[in-house]
Amino acid sequence: MTSRSLPIGLAERRAPLRFRLHWLAYGVVAVSLLVGIFGSALLTQDPLAQDLLARNLGPSAGHWLGTDSFGRDIGARLVAGTRLTLVVAFLASLLALVGGAGLGLVGCIAGGKVRALVYAGFDIVRTMPPILLSLALMVALGVGTSSVILAVGIAYMPLFAYVARAVYEREMASGYVAAARVIGAGPWATAGRHILPNMLGAMLTQVAIVLPRAVTTESVLSFFGLGVSPEVPTWGRVIATSVEFAEQAPTSLLFPVVALAVLTLSLAVVGDRLRKNFDPLRAARREDVSHG
Amino acid sequence: MVEARSLFAFVLRQIFKILCIAFAIFLLVRAVPGDIADMYEARGDYDAQQLEDLRASLGLHDSLVQQFGHWAWNALHGDLGESMRFGASVGDMVLAALPSSLVLAGCSLALGLLLGLMLAVLGLAFPNSKIGPWIESLNIWSIAVPTFCTGILGILVFSVWLKWLPIRGQMLLPVLIVGIDVAGQIVKPLYEELKETSHAAFVRTARAKGLSRWRIAWRHMLPNSLSVIIALSGVILGGLVGGTLTVEALFGLPGIGSLALEAIRGRDYPVIQAAVMALAGFVVLVNVLTSVLHRCIDPRLARGNQE
Repeated sequence: MTSRSLPIGLAERRAPLRFRLHWLAYGVVAVSLLVGIFGSALLTQDPLAQDLLARNLGPSAGHWLGTDSFGRDIGARLVAGTRLTLVVAFLASLLALVGGAGLGLVGCIAGGKVRALVYAGFDIVRTMPPILLSLALMVALGVGTSSVILAVGIAYMPLFAYVARAVYEREMASGYVAAARVIGAGPWATAGRHILPNMLGAMLTQVAIVLPRAVTTESVLSFFGLGVSPEVPTWGRVIATSVEFAEQAPTSLLFPVVALAVLTLSLAVVGDRLRKNFDPLRAARREDVSHG
Repeated sequence: MVEARSLFAFVLRQIFKILCIAFAIFLLVRAVPGDIADMYEARGDYDAQQLEDLRASLGLHDSLVQQFGHWAWNALHGDLGESMRFGASVGDMVLAALPSSLVLAGCSLALGLLLGLMLAVLGLAFPNSKIGPWIESLNIWSIAVPTFCTGILGILVFSVWLKWLPIRGQMLLPVLIVGIDVAGQIVKPLYEELKETSHAAFVRTARAKGLSRWRIAWRHMLPNSLSVIIALSGVILGGLVGGTLTVEALFGLPGIGSLALEAIRGRDYPVIQAAVMALAGFVVLVNVLTSVLHRCIDPRLARGNQE
């Protein structure tokens, strides 16, 4: 359904926020990536250096974004934490993609009981909200960077598994797969050669959707004290340290929270544009609606 | 008859799911290196013999399956065990925490549904206004910016800066924050569904009869989209569990989320088990309820789709 077929007055408009901000969002993501890659090299302050005479300060020339309750520079901690925040979120999303889509796809190809079993498993995992599940997993895995990646990755696996199943079913019903089957391609060959490449777009879109959520989940885990190890400054950890002293040093809490909100919003806006541009499922749903 | 049987099978599946979740949580919690006796040992309050006795009395020497069987049997009889830290009945602790969580979830959902419905209907009734684009923006805002962030921003603005509300223990800000979040998630799918409906013949008829836009939207289109609203609020309620967990911790509300977190920090197995089960059980219950409601409202579902 295009906007032209809508009656006059219902024509779609661009959302003001997204319209004005989407280039800004690309910019924010690009800057975060650059800071993540080169940030630590450019730091003039040690993110771990404590200065007990300069605790809970507001912004000043010496500390642009103020200091936390140990007198550590908030700006330096944010810059130093950018890389880990991004890397953890990215690796967790990647794990969710490989694990969720991989297991789902294998289940779908094997079919029958295997498929039922795999998706019964995902159905159980899906029942737990990601934050709750990753919390429970962190309890079992213990604090640490790889635990966070594993916990967040597992929590988001079902999302990929169900999209993988939807794409698989749609592709299996299409003419070219039938043709491949007719000329004698087995189910594994068909899946590997024909379905997998067609799944890539949908999967990348899902990564774009999961990435900001992974950033948030990691931050919340760190906030609860169940994230990466205490000496590593991820953004969630910086927020957790400052939230205790919200009244003494509000700016030390404001800057990390705004940074987190701006990053997740930007990632989501970028992801939303990606989805608009090439999400086959969305297009399929649209067709269903207009046919029915 | 087929309908009733498929519904029964569905409910059975959900019960099995709860059992699986219970066992999974049980394993996860027990997989933690170190138990509560280790914590006491680290504190140096007990000698080796006392620690052994403590472990024996808490049943920590039995095999995992034995422990789970023991727990499940007692749980079926309404006994969730005792908190390892406080010695209080876990059932009582959960019951004490339940009202706060239910009020938070219920009020936020009500506020979110109301706000979302109003916006969607307004956007449809006045298509030339700026409401449509703002619905999009609210939607992407609530998806992208976590309640974690809006919660802290809310504390900074209303508690630290304006000093209107205390930081901890009040319910107004949490309900507002989670409610607006719910509204943002629900408003766009609802708006799009209503827009689809606006092409239906019965809407044209209503318009030809000269009914007002507002009346068409409320009386003719909304009931038609009721099943979508139910499906949406089911999904949202499930997601609400995760949201309230964070918000409860942030605002110091004595709910199930806080209970779970506190228990996780203190390695209090029975409490972790019960609190996490309560949260997961709530999600399953909501799934069952929405599915049953769905079938009642939309008979096409009961006939066609078995899932």
